[in-house]
Amino acid sequence: MKLPRRQVLTGAIGVGAGAVAGAGATYAAAHAGTDERPEPDAVPFHGVHQAGVVDAAPKHSTMVSLDVLADDRDGLRELFTTLTARARFLTAGGTPPDPGIAAPPHDSGVLGPDVPPDRLTITVGVGASLFDHRYGLATRKPVRLSPMRTFPNDAPDPAWCHGDVSVQFCAPNADTVIHALRDVARHTRGLAQIRWRMDGFRSPPRPSGTPRNLMGFKDGTSNPDRTDAREMDRRIWLSAGKATGQAAGEPSWTAGGSYQVVRLIRMRLEFWDRISTSEQEKLIGRRRDTGAPLDGSGEFDTPKYAEDPVGSAIPLTSHIRRANPRTAKSDPSLLLRRPYNYDRGVDAVGDLDMGLLFVCYQRDLARQFEAVQTRLVDEPLVDYITPFGGGYFFTLPGVRDAHDTYGRTLLA
Amino acid sequence: MRVRALVGIGAVVLLAACDSTPKARSETTVEVSRAVCGSGWSDPHGGTQVFRVHNVGTNTAEVELVDPATGAVYAEVDGVAPGTTRPMQVRLGRGRYAFKCLPEDTDALTGSTVTVRDGPARGAPAVVPVGEQDLRDAVTTYRAYVTRSFGPLRRDVAALEREVRSGDRAAARRAWLTAHLDYERLGAAYGTFGDLADAIDRLPAGLPDGAHDKDFTGFHRIEYGLWHGESMTALRGPAGRLRTDVGTLVGGFDREQTDPNDLPLRAHEILEATLEFELTGAADQGSGSTLATARANVDGTRAVLSALRPVLTGRYRGLSGADASLDTLAKLLDAQHSGGTWTPVADLSRAERERLDGATGDALERLAPIAALAEVRRTR
Ligand code: HEM
Repeated sequence: MKLPRRQVLTGAIGVGAGAVAGAGATYAAAHAGTDERPEPDAVPFHGVHQAGVVDAAPKHSTMVSLDVLADDRDGLRELFTTLTARARFLTAGGTPPDPGIAAPPHDSGVLGPDVPPDRLTITVGVGASLFDHRYGLATRKPVRLSPMRTFPNDAPDPAWCHGDVSVQFCAPNADTVIHALRDVARHTRGLAQIRWRMDGFRSPPRPSGTPRNLMGFKDGTSNPDRTDAREMDRRIWLSAGKATGQAAGEPSWTAGGSYQVVRLIRMRLEFWDRISTSEQEKLIGRRRDTGAPLDGSGEFDTPKYAEDPVGSAIPLTSHIRRANPRTAKSDPSLLLRRPYNYDRGVDAVGDLDMGLLFVCYQRDLARQFEAVQTRLVDEPLVDYITPFGGGYFFTLPGVRDAHDTYGRTLLA
Repeated sequence: MRVRALVGIGAVVLLAACDSTPKARSETTVEVSRAVCGSGWSDPHGGTQVFRVHNVGTNTAEVELVDPATGAVYAEVDGVAPGTTRPMQVRLGRGRYAFKCLPEDTDALTGSTVTVRDGPARGAPAVVPVGEQDLRDAVTTYRAYVTRSFGPLRRDVAALEREVRSGDRAAARRAWLTAHLDYERLGAAYGTFGDLADAIDRLPAGLPDGAHDKDFTGFHRIEYGLWHGESMTALRGPAGRLRTDVGTLVGGFDREQTDPNDLPLRAHEILEATLEFELTGAADQGSGSTLATARANVDGTRAVLSALRPVLTGRYRGLSGADASLDTLAKLLDAQHSGGTWTPVADLSRAERERLDGATGDALERLAPIAALAEVRRTR
């Protein structure tokens, strides 16, 4: 008999008492009954949708792509059950059980003896490869899910592309992200193997407004309103019941989920720094200092493309104009961007190896991401960026309650 | 003085931080000394507890919370120095408990039995401690395995030297692999055989001139030469030296003690090294046979497990899972072997590599508790 991993770590045979139950008291329980209760520090784990999609991105993240090693559907179910149990514990916080003399410590200790929730979110998605012959899921594939396409300006490195499962960890502190990653990797050992991983960070507003990316431009200014639930239902989340709108034909298990696109995009920052500000601004279509569109004065002013048909203020080839021409025809392609910066050292010629860990969400890959990316083909900005990795994933519906698990509706 | 001042400031900050985090787990201070053990636990309740173990005596002591009926240990803190207080965290179920104190230089002392009548039905797992006696048979079994393996090892190392002297490179390469795997099956890891292990099986890492260093000896030295076009005559020296070193190892083994504590550690340490050096390919000096080495290491791990089996049965519920995991790993490795050759790590497909690494990781997680469970503990 092979014990499931959850039990392995405390796999000693109890003498006079049984094996430890569950994964330790929750943070809330451990802190109940005290007067000075701290402000809620946890992002709710249970819900119709997963966290880490439409909520504001905290400072730190890591995106890991996993390949599933499980032999069969039961093994896959065990992976999702384990992932759920760990995510539930880690996002709520609590005291990890002490294994006594029966096993090495249950927890890495990176966050101290009591694990604080620290507003951690864990977001799980599935890639097209999970729906191959291995787990008998071919007929359950979200209809719009496919392996990430290679676009004309891409230079894909197979080592950094695709994967069966994506797991995104986000938190205000890097140690919280790393602690969660180590915990999840340990508990899923043998069931899944990390294929690639990219750490992300977001900057504070400089000096105000939207945080800047590594090219010095505010990035995230023009995004659908994440606080508007109807807007999110219309553009981002797949809906339940009667197939509505453009998400028609999706299997019903997908309700509450969303298509996730991850693009790892290297920036050629040394080159970028050698061109003039006005050149940079024409490439993007916005002012570098304020983030205002080149025909406006404030960051949140709306560009008036209709008044500038030949692009004398905002070039027709600029990034923002290509990405979103703001016409009735382009409106259905709006998507929700949730990008991070990445930094992975130095390349072979001594240049900084940095860029964008681009993440976006939508109801329809072709209508939204691929339409935008197709408009961006050969935009002048491509000289300064190289997409080399990432993948398409389907962010699973939320875990409803304490009895639910990731992928329950998928594997039902 | 300056250092102290800084430490002082740090401590204040830390305390302040702790204060803002309310604690609901109940805390109980218990006292231990040569005369009393666990006094102060007057209001027992189930659930997660922290005992603050305060040594009021004059001897450093190891303190355990045990089941008085079986001696099984729920939790322990060791090396509690006189005058110090150390936290012991444990989740208590309903049942009977006692503190057991093992002060240095004096006999163990068990405190009075305390009954927990509320809280969860079951608490943390308890393990009957393993004494030196328990491991003696295991060590004997393991040493017999090693001794049995010495015959083939000596024979195959001698054959390697013969083939090197004959100048037949292909034959020497085959003989090298056979002899090397004999050695790897012994289950040596992290300094088992002391300095001789270095002479016999070291890697060039850490030597100032790497693979060309004069102190680079043993199997990997010969491998480097055989697969890097060195002249066969140049390899006679290293092959002779290897035969001598193996002879010394075999001859001296009877006099070498095996620390009983080594054995439970080795349950996962052999494969920890396999993951670090063989599955990464770091150990490869040209033969591309690190998966063969990994396979031999699985056999070495199995030998350790079978020696420990009587100790683990009844203590480790995950044992059959560990066995099954090793079987899976062995099968995956065997699949990379055909017609006397092994796939070099670099030639594995990504999927094959992930399977192997994942299976090794799985085995390691399942083997690691053995080191904790079977560590020799004082019982009297
Ligand atoms: C390294 C690569 C990229 C850089 C440096 C970059 C930079 C920017 C900047 C500075 C803005 C203007 C501020 C804002 O509204 O957020 C922007 C907007 C935008 N970008 Fe990108 N971006 C990159 C990749 C992408 C990709 C891969 C996509 C999608 C396929 C994309 C889609 C958009 C969209 C839809 C907008 C908003 C346009 C609008 O509504 O006005 N970007 N980007």
